[in-house]
Amino acid sequence: MTRPGLWIGFLVIATVVTLALLAPELAPHDPYRSGVDMLDLPSRAHPLGTDDLGRDILSRVIHGARTSLAIGFGAAMVGMVIGVPIGLIAGYFRGRLDFVLVALIDLFIALPGLVLALIITVMIGPSVRNLVLVLGFVMWPAIARLVRGQTLAVRETVFVEAARAVGGSQGWIIRRHVWPSVLPVVAAQFAISVSFAIFTSASLSFLGLGIPPPAADWGGMVRSGYDYLAINPLMSLAPGAAVTFTVMGFYVIGASFK
Amino acid sequence: MAWKLGRRQAIAGLGGSLLLGNAAHAETPRNGGTLNVGLASDAKTYDPIYSVQFTERHVLYLVFNTLVKYAPDFSIQPELAASWETSQDGKRIVFTLQQGVTFHDGTPFNADAVKWNIDRRLDPTVNSPQRELLAPVIASVEVLDPHRVAFNLTKPSPAIFSLLGERPGFMVSPTSWQKLGKEFAEHPVGTGAFVLKEWVRGSQVVLEKNPNYWEKGLPYLDRIVVRDLAGSVVGVQRLLTGEVDYVGELTASDVRPIEGKPDIVLKPIKVGRWYFLQWHVNAPPFDNAKLRQAIAHAIDRKRLNEITMRGQGYVSDSPTPEGLWWYDPTVKSYDYDPAKAKALLAEAGYPNGFEYQLSTPQVAIFQQINQLLQEQFAAVGIKVTLQPVASSEWYARVVDGTTNMTPTRWTQRADPDGLLYILFDSKGFANTMKYRNDKVDALLEEARTTYDIGTRKRLYRAAQQQIVTDLPMVPLIFGAEYAALRGNVRGFEWIPDQIPRFRELWKARA
Repeated sequence: MTRPGLWIGFLVIATVVTLALLAPELAPHDPYRSGVDMLDLPSRAHPLGTDDLGRDILSRVIHGARTSLAIGFGAAMVGMVIGVPIGLIAGYFRGRLDFVLVALIDLFIALPGLVLALIITVMIGPSVRNLVLVLGFVMWPAIARLVRGQTLAVRETVFVEAARAVGGSQGWIIRRHVWPSVLPVVAAQFAISVSFAIFTSASLSFLGLGIPPPAADWGGMVRSGYDYLAINPLMSLAPGAAVTFTVMGFYVIGASFK
Repeated sequence: MAWKLGRRQAIAGLGGSLLLGNAAHAETPRNGGTLNVGLASDAKTYDPIYSVQFTERHVLYLVFNTLVKYAPDFSIQPELAASWETSQDGKRIVFTLQQGVTFHDGTPFNADAVKWNIDRRLDPTVNSPQRELLAPVIASVEVLDPHRVAFNLTKPSPAIFSLLGERPGFMVSPTSWQKLGKEFAEHPVGTGAFVLKEWVRGSQVVLEKNPNYWEKGLPYLDRIVVRDLAGSVVGVQRLLTGEVDYVGELTASDVRPIEGKPDIVLKPIKVGRWYFLQWHVNAPPFDNAKLRQAIAHAIDRKRLNEITMRGQGYVSDSPTPEGLWWYDPTVKSYDYDPAKAKALLAEAGYPNGFEYQLSTPQVAIFQQINQLLQEQFAAVGIKVTLQPVASSEWYARVVDGTTNMTPTRWTQRADPDGLLYILFDSKGFANTMKYRNDKVDALLEEARTTYDIGTRKRLYRAAQQQIVTDLPMVPLIFGAEYAALRGNVRGFEWIPDQIPRFRELWKARA
C-alpha cells in the first residue's frame, strides 16, 4: 500500500484506542477529583495544567477518549444496523419497495444532521446512551444510500445472475454473494461514520447539549474552557486537538478505502 | 483625545501608583477629565419610572438623585431629603427637602415635585412596575409647604426608606416628563450631577457635568462615557489598553490576568450574591429533617469558596453577609462533618445513602458548584446525577416544582425585609422552597413593621437562626465579584446592591 494517509490514520486510531483502553493506568490523576489549584499552567504534576475546578486536564483528555470512542463506535453501529439492511433490501429487490425506501432515505438526508441531532437531543435529554441513538439515527440514511448503490451494481453482475440461475434462495444470494461485495464499502463508511459521530457529539457538547458534567468529554471540555482562554488556553485547546486528530484519523481511513 | 494616555504618561503612571497605597487618602480631588466606563449594557429605558433592567441604574444614579441614599452597610442617609421624622404610630413620615435644587431643565425641585413623582408611580394608568411595591404601603403623599412633604402609610413600614433609595426614589422633572412623553426614555431629566447628552443604543451613553449641581464641589469629572461591551474578557482587554477606566461584574477568574498589574486597581465586593442549595421542604426525600441535616453536614463550604471563588468570597452561615447591619455572627449553620452526615443518613432511614438528581442550570458557576457538591455527596454515600436545564427554563421549573434540588443565588436588598420576607415567609412570592414556620412568619411580620433598628436586629437574628436550623435550604457561600479600574481613578466604593456609583469619582494625573 502506498497511501501514507492510511498509516497515519491507523497510528492515530491505535493511539486513541490505547488511551481509551488503558485510561486508568495511563492517566496520572483521577479525572474527577477537584483541587484548590485551579487553572494552573502546565507543570510537572499536571503536564497540561488544571481546569476551573483544579482537575488534571491531561487525565481528563485521556479519559475523554473512552467517551468519544464509545459514542463514535456506538453511533456508527446503530447507523449500520438500521442503514445496511434497508440499503440491501432496496437495492436488491428494486421495484415499488425500493421507491418507498429511497424516498424515505432522501427525506432524512435532506435534513441537516447537526440540526436534527440538536432537536432530538433537546426532546429526549442528553446522556451517552441517547447520544449514541440520536447520532446513529442521524447517520443511517447516508449508510443506506451507499449500500443500496453498491447492491444495485452487484446484483447485475454475472456471478449473482449465475447464483440465481442455479436456484439459490434470495436470502442465500444476498448473504453469500451480495454482502461480501458490499462489505468493503460498508467498512469504509463505518470509519467515516465514527468520525462524523465524534465530531457531531463534540459540537453538541459545545452547544451545551452533550454529556452532562462532570463527564470527561472532549466537546464539553472545550466548552467549559472557553471562559478561561486567557488563563489556561489548554483547557480548551487540548481536548479540541484530541477531537481533531481522532476525527481526522477515522476519516482518512474511511476515505482511503473508498 | 485628551483622555488617551501617551506612552510617557503611562510610564509616569506606573511609578506614581507605587505610592498610591499611602497617598490615596491624602490627595485632594482633581477636577476635570473623562471617565470611560465599560459595561455589558442591557438598558432599554432611562426613564426611572419604567426602569427594570439591571444596568439602567448605572446611568440613572448619575442623571438623577434619590430621596435617600444607601451607605456601604445599607444604612439610610439623606440625599434630596435632608431629614425626616416618623410619627408615633409609624404611619406618617415627614421629609424635609434640600433647598435650592433645580432639575436640568430649570424646574425647581420641591415638595410638589416629590408628590408628583410618587403619584405618577402609584397611578394605575401610568403602569409603572414600581406600583406594586409602593401601592400596598403608601396611602397618600401630602405637600405641607414647598420644602416639606408627608408620606401617609397604610401601616408602619421601615422598608419604605430602602425603596426611596432605589428606582421609586429617583426624582424625575415633572415638566420634561410631561412635555417629552415617550421620548423621556432617551432624554431623561433629573437633578443629578450629570446630564445625559447622547444615547446611541448598543454603543454608548455620553454624560456631561451638570455645572449647577446642588452638592457643593461635585462632580469632579467633566464627562462620563458608558461604552457597551460584549463581555468581561473583552472588558479586561480594553481596560489593559486604557480604552476604558472601569469594568465591573468580573469573577474571581476573570481578574487573574490583571492581578498585580501596577496600573490597575481591583475592588472586590464581598457582600455580593448569596448562593444556597434549595429544595422543596414538603417533597420526599427532603421532608425528612434528619436527611436535610445529613446533606448540610456533607457540604464543605470552605472548599466551595476556595475553588469557585478562589477563596475570595465568604462561607455563608445565614442569608446575610458580614458588613450589612442585620448580619449577626452568632447565627450558625451546620458544620462540615462527613462522619456525622453518614450517621444522620442512617438515622434518617438511608443507611446506604440515596440517589437523586441535582439540577444544573447552564451557568458556569452553578455547574462548578454542582460538580463539587456531587463529589462531596459521593463521599457520604449520596449519589447525585447532574441534570442540565436551560437557564431560561430553570427558574420556572424551580417555581412549579419539576426541579427540586438546585443551587440558587440572590443579590442583597437594601432592607432585610427585601430578601428574608420574599424567600422565607410562607406568603413570600419567591418562597419556592414551600417553607412555612409560623414562628418565622411572626418574627418577619413584626420586624417589617418596626422602625427601631435594635429591635429589628434582634427579630431578624431570631428568624435567621430558625430558618438556618430548619434547613429549607443550605447556605453555601457569598460570591466574590470585582470591579477593576485604571490606577488613576479615585473615590470608588461599593454599595452592596452591586450598582457602581460614578458620581463622586475623579481622576488623578496619569
